[in-house]
Amino acid sequence: MFLLGGVFALLVRTELFSPIPLITPLFAGSDAGAQADLYNQWFTTHGAIMVFLVIIPGVPAALGNFVLPLLLGAKDVAFPRLNLGSFYLWVSGAAFFVYVLFSGGVDTGWTFYTPYSTSSPTAVIPAVVGVFILGFSSIFTGLNFIVTIHKMRPKGMTWFNMPLFLWATYSTAVIQVLATPVLGITLLLLILERTLGIGIFDPQNGGDPVLYQHFFWFYSHPAVYIMIIPAMGVISEIIAVHSHKRIFGYRYIAYSSVAIAIFSFIVWGHHMFTSGQSTMMNIIFSGITFSVGIPSAIKVFNWIATMYKGSINLNTSMLYGIAFIFLFTIGGLTGLFLGVLSIDTHLHDTYFVVAHFHYVMMGSALIAFVGGLHHWWPKMTGRMFNEFWGRIACMLVFIGFNLTFIPQFVMGSLGMPRRYYTYEDKFQIYHQLSTIGSYVMAAGFFLTAFYLIQSLVSGKKAPMNPWGGNSLEWHTPSPPPLENFHGVPSATDPYELDQFDYDPVTGNYSSQSSKGLA
Amino acid sequence: MMHFLTSSFQSLATQTGPSFWLPESVSNFAPTVDGDFYFVYWVSIFFLVLITALLIIFMWKFSAPEGQKATSQNDHNLILEIAWTGIPVILSLMMFWYGYKGYVAMATPPSNAMVITAEAAKWSWNFSYPASGTVVSGASEDFNEIRNALRTGDLTAEQAAEREAKVLEKAGLHVPVNTPVQVNVLAADVLHSLFIPAFRVKKDCVPGRIGQLWFEATEPGVYSLYCSEYCGQGHSAMHSKVVVHPSQEDFDKWLAVAASYDEALPFPELGEIVWKRKGCVSCHSLDGANKTGPTWKGLFGSERKYTENGTLGSAIADESYIEESIRYPMKKISDGYTGQMPVVKLTDKEILWVTEFIKSLR
Repeated sequence: MFLLGGVFALLVRTELFSPIPLITPLFAGSDAGAQADLYNQWFTTHGAIMVFLVIIPGVPAALGNFVLPLLLGAKDVAFPRLNLGSFYLWVSGAAFFVYVLFSGGVDTGWTFYTPYSTSSPTAVIPAVVGVFILGFSSIFTGLNFIVTIHKMRPKGMTWFNMPLFLWATYSTAVIQVLATPVLGITLLLLILERTLGIGIFDPQNGGDPVLYQHFFWFYSHPAVYIMIIPAMGVISEIIAVHSHKRIFGYRYIAYSSVAIAIFSFIVWGHHMFTSGQSTMMNIIFSGITFSVGIPSAIKVFNWIATMYKGSINLNTSMLYGIAFIFLFTIGGLTGLFLGVLSIDTHLHDTYFVVAHFHYVMMGSALIAFVGGLHHWWPKMTGRMFNEFWGRIACMLVFIGFNLTFIPQFVMGSLGMPRRYYTYEDKFQIYHQLSTIGSYVMAAGFFLTAFYLIQSLVSGKKAPMNPWGGNSLEWHTPSPPPLENFHGVPSATDPYELDQFDYDPVTGNYSSQSSKGLA
Repeated sequence: MMHFLTSSFQSLATQTGPSFWLPESVSNFAPTVDGDFYFVYWVSIFFLVLITALLIIFMWKFSAPEGQKATSQNDHNLILEIAWTGIPVILSLMMFWYGYKGYVAMATPPSNAMVITAEAAKWSWNFSYPASGTVVSGASEDFNEIRNALRTGDLTAEQAAEREAKVLEKAGLHVPVNTPVQVNVLAADVLHSLFIPAFRVKKDCVPGRIGQLWFEATEPGVYSLYCSEYCGQGHSAMHSKVVVHPSQEDFDKWLAVAASYDEALPFPELGEIVWKRKGCVSCHSLDGANKTGPTWKGLFGSERKYTENGTLGSAIADESYIEESIRYPMKKISDGYTGQMPVVKLTDKEILWVTEFIKSLR
């Protein structure tokens, strides 16, 4: 699915290399309207797949389902069948999207804004049904994690010696369970309006399009944190383990995850500063919006302090961790511009916004996913990947990413609106840089896929503890046996990282006195 | 350092031409918005440089081979935590405050402002000047033609500028310089958004609501105007121009010309002007290609199959059929179309001319 979403991104970027039709005529023929329609379907498909099928389930479902039980020393999550159910739902949601691709696409943008979405002749209903089903997949995962963390912690593990990844997934799970139903209801109303003509959002039938935006962002803003909080959890693990140093400010990082989760519910209005909601509402939402920035800043500074006087291994996972801190800093700081009402009036719906949310969703959430994938790859597969190519690929992704999106900040603040099929010539140079960057990044991701697959075939066998971590997953063989552990483990201090001795022959970190807390 | 920062913000914020980051700055709001922008910009640059420098130094200084132990396991420092919580709190409160002050000014038009209505539809703009009842088009189609002709080399830069000036005689959003102007924004079908980068103003056009923005242009000239809320196929082609006239008299003179039709012209030619001016052009072609609506070529006198209130019917497209289709566009929906035509308010004369124009397209 990431490949599919990525291909659409590359199609969009290639088309925008020039302001005149470039590759859409190859697919849509010579009719200018059909070419523009096709472009609109591409960016919609890219957005919807990446948000709903890749990033939202990425860290929690894909990494979380493997790592979370291990971190807890448990056999599995609390409800394995519910978990399987959520996977089947994800597959059916994905199937709907594939159906949409073959039935003429959808062109509403991933936000499905009314009344365009109630009047667009494209396959809006199948796409919306797909998102609706994916919502349930997300709710099931969240529910499962909440129960698992509450009930299945090992003997001796209190809330405050849980690995921080668990704090992050717990905060995320709460958002998933509370916010996703609102999206479900909103999309149901949208379907009702399209099929039965009930006037809820369409002013022609007495509805209000701004109401749709309120409902939609009430879910979709917290959804941004469904994407980023677990990513932050991954980073807390990566930075501490690969610096071989106790995480700095444990409680601040833990509480800041909870704080972000709570604040995330009351800032949705900042997506609507120019929509015509009242001046007073805009001012209140702008004020609250800045409150989300503070816990994010606290996390960044604590990660950096963790690195201070550490013993840092600049391996692939750590490079992704450091890349995350840099990219997330840019993503966060550019969010400040958009939170300031007067500046947002100018920047709203321009490429500045596009670049900003790519820094947060891709540069942060997705980079953390890839970093986490490398961090836990030996544990998941029992194989080591090639570090040399790992670092090269990481650099390609990092350079390509910045080359893609930094020019977008510039053209956005110069006034280039988003979702444009064609544009004024003065913006072309920025689009060209951006397109070249996207190719570099794609090369990095293909390289990553290549050496990871290669490691499965001929990778070195992974030892139990290749990085020197002390959370429970590093106390079981790689890959873990059936039921995860031999015997019932008791809690360790996950950030007691200086007790290991490295064995250069096996590549394993071992300890004579692996200190349990129980 | 401090002096360098403050002086560079000011010089960046007071120039009127485009800078690296921002477009030309030619309204009463632009200097405030740009000042806010550069304040946040320099704060961000400071933190980005600080964080990047720390990352690089730590990567350099503390990187070590596998197996080496960290030299410290210190994991908390209350003073640091307070500092890196407190400083961002103070800075973000300042940002909020500047943004709030700037925004309240933007949200409150003065009572003596000249009022213009901008109506957005798929995919054209219409600007009406209530003082005289004149409606002029955004002429997006013309600007797109000129842009394309310039790219293919069919027009030189000078010819393009000339054509553009010619179009602007009867199209575009025109305002006098140094006069408060309030623009009420409406949408006929789906969401649109009126965006004038050089003035730093933007407002969504929401069907069923009247939105408003205001500004005072400070430099005569011609500036870009975009639709910035996604509205489908023609979204990126839905642009127009803002013309700032050097004086009120100049503006009044323009308005008198723009309001008039040259009634000495034959009816079909007047109809063609209406077709362009009122935005029919964006959905009805003249060459037989079916766009969002049926082509006008060969339409007159042909048999039309349609759906009316769920029942099928057919009729010959005569004068009365065309008039009804213009006045009540959603009444009879031609087979093969989804019925997306807004009510375009035409005068009786304009309907007559359009009908004659369609007749001429055999």
